Amino acid sequence: MKKKKCIAMLLAGGQGSRLGALTKHIAKPAVSFGGKYRIIDFSLSNCANSHIGTVGVLTQYRPLRLNAYIGTGASWDLDEPDGGVSILPPYATETGGEWYKGTADAVYQNLDYIRMNDPEYVLILSGDHLYRMDYRKMLACHVEHKADLTISVMPVPWEEASRFGIVTEDETGRIVKFSEKPRKPDSNLASMGIYIFSAKPLINALVADAADPDSEHDFGKNIIPKLLADGKRLFGYEFTGYWKDVGTIDSYHETSMELLDPKPGFNLFDAGDRIMSNNVSEPPQYIGKGAKLSESLVSNGCVVLGTVRHSILSTGSYVGKGAVVEDSVLLPGAKVMDGARVVRAIMGENATVSAGGVLGSADPAEAIAVIGDNAVAGGKEAK
Amino acid sequence: MYSVVGLISTNYATEGLGVLTNERTVASLPFGGRYRLIDFPLSNMVGAGIKTVGLITPYKYRSIIDHIGSGKPWALDRKSGGLYILPGSVFGISSAESRFILRDIERNKAFLERSAADYVVVTAANTVSRIDFADLVEKHSASGADMTLVCRRAAAAEPFMDALDIRDGRVAGVRKGAEKGDAMFLDCFVVNRELMEKILEWYKAINHLDLFEVLAADYDKMDVRPYEFDGYVGPIFTTDQYYDVSMELLKPTVREELFAADRPVLTKSHDRVPVKYVEGARVSNSLIQAGSRISGTVENSIVSSEVVIEAGARVKNCIILQDCHICAGAAVENAIIDRANVIAAGAVIRGAKGDPFIFSKSSGK
Repeated sequence: MKKKKCIAMLLAGGQGSRLGALTKHIAKPAVSFGGKYRIIDFSLSNCANSHIGTVGVLTQYRPLRLNAYIGTGASWDLDEPDGGVSILPPYATETGGEWYKGTADAVYQNLDYIRMNDPEYVLILSGDHLYRMDYRKMLACHVEHKADLTISVMPVPWEEASRFGIVTEDETGRIVKFSEKPRKPDSNLASMGIYIFSAKPLINALVADAADPDSEHDFGKNIIPKLLADGKRLFGYEFTGYWKDVGTIDSYHETSMELLDPKPGFNLFDAGDRIMSNNVSEPPQYIGKGAKLSESLVSNGCVVLGTVRHSILSTGSYVGKGAVVEDSVLLPGAKVMDGARVVRAIMGENATVSAGGVLGSADPAEAIAVIGDNAVAGGKEAK
Repeated sequence: MYSVVGLISTNYATEGLGVLTNERTVASLPFGGRYRLIDFPLSNMVGAGIKTVGLITPYKYRSIIDHIGSGKPWALDRKSGGLYILPGSVFGISSAESRFILRDIERNKAFLERSAADYVVVTAANTVSRIDFADLVEKHSASGADMTLVCRRAAAAEPFMDALDIRDGRVAGVRKGAEKGDAMFLDCFVVNRELMEKILEWYKAINHLDLFEVLAADYDKMDVRPYEFDGYVGPIFTTDQYYDVSMELLKPTVREELFAADRPVLTKSHDRVPVKYVEGARVSNSLIQAGSRISGTVENSIVSSEVVIEAGARVKNCIILQDCHICAGAAVENAIIDRANVIAAGAVIRGAKGDPFIFSKSSGK
């Protein structure tokens, strides 16, 4: 196999418990987003658009749907003869097997994959962010700095800084301090969880970390602080585009609603790098007589007979006669039956709100209503 | 267990389609907002488990080859079998009305000879339907017939379709034009492969003719039977028929049959964004394909991908093909707007009911 410049390791094994009912049956990166996409599409499309043709996807939690969705990687043009997508689940060896114990351990357990590809650089990504990034620019920055590790960072409002891993840089951009969720941040540059390592220091760091019984085997908590303590060259790469974590119900809903802005921060229609996905063969959507639609994104296979305002209808969802859907996200196959009302809600895949039923509340003080995949709500039997 | 190969003739019977087939085959005519006509026969074949399909593409084949590629969306990018693009014989010798010119098949005889298949399913691409080819081949095989032709009782006169003369359960002849109630031939049949090769041998001297022209005197020598299909059939031989059959997709019963989930219509996908409806959009009884942006009014229409309909624009009883831009205040009614056209702000385009205006494809796209 020919030596590669840069490969990607995409961390897709987390449960995503903060997405509640939406990740009961599927891993977070496989959760539907933006009408026809799944969350992992954004990272995979970024890889493909950045010409990174070798991507290891580390899976662990409920991987069936995710694996089926990724398939051969052909949907992202990642079915390459020399590389492409490889699904990397935990595995057994002659001395037994172990689950991935943390982000760093997951990559450590796949050092064979990295060695097999023999890259100069390894890009580490999470599968749950919404952004468009040309990783080649970040790699150029890494190479220019002769860095051991480059962390993609972006400024966040100071009052939110304590929610993130915060990076403190000196005047040359070199990272002098990394604090995971600091109570009193001394910088507002947040780590986006996107790392480029030079392969050798990465391998050395992972091997040392694996031997440390006190480590939680986490990049943010263990690997990065250790590299800093060892005096390695860590640099920040400042990203100025749109980037959102969609890992909680609130951020998922808020980010979805932002797609509907007249000039959205993340514009799916941008003529540049397109977002690719594993498309399903659904006919065009049918908009019936008496339907009303505004400020919405509606996917193929949908049938709309009622009113849809400021909402996202994913592939194959249904809005019956006299039904109203507002400020909501319907995941694939969700059905709002005749006369039902869905407001500020997220409906899981193939979930149903019965005829005349109600889900969610327009009151912004109320939490976003969520029903899981295949759930039925709004009927007389519902609470 | 028998094996079957498919053969699709992609561009004959185009004389009634005018400017719509100026730059494309009948098979690559856009249909229903997202599809091309070829998607229906091809998906029917793949859905019936046929894994080797040849496309006869005599001319104007850029768009069909672009659409079909390696056959991946139909899972025909295979090591064994898969998709074969079969170049047609020289065009211009035969009648443009022919569907299955013998020479086209003969010149691609290797496709048949190399296959070990028992049967060949052959179809034209002018007719939209969801024929179950698996059932067709099963009935054909069980009957022991040499050839089985698919037909349907014509609900109305269809001058561009042929009719089968059926006597005692056998096909005794094929004649031009189908009257109401006739067994209308759906340009689709199954034949034993070895017989097909023999027919090519017998009629070498007159192979510029259509298969059914040369067979005219042979129905007493062969066992040719009808297979009656009773589902939806949309024949597309003229621009009026193209318009009418397209509009039938607005009926839920037609959509439910053609797009039933157990045997989906497969097509090339393009990573289109969901449709964006802007404040002020008004849409009623229409099919809208992904990638479009709607701010204006759309009524009783079919809108393909990447179409922009600006605020204040009105589209009624129209088929708008891919990449069109209907500017603010324009009014388009009873029209087919072919690909990549810009309808200027305030422009009015109005066809007559039953005689749609056709705005031909913008050049260069």
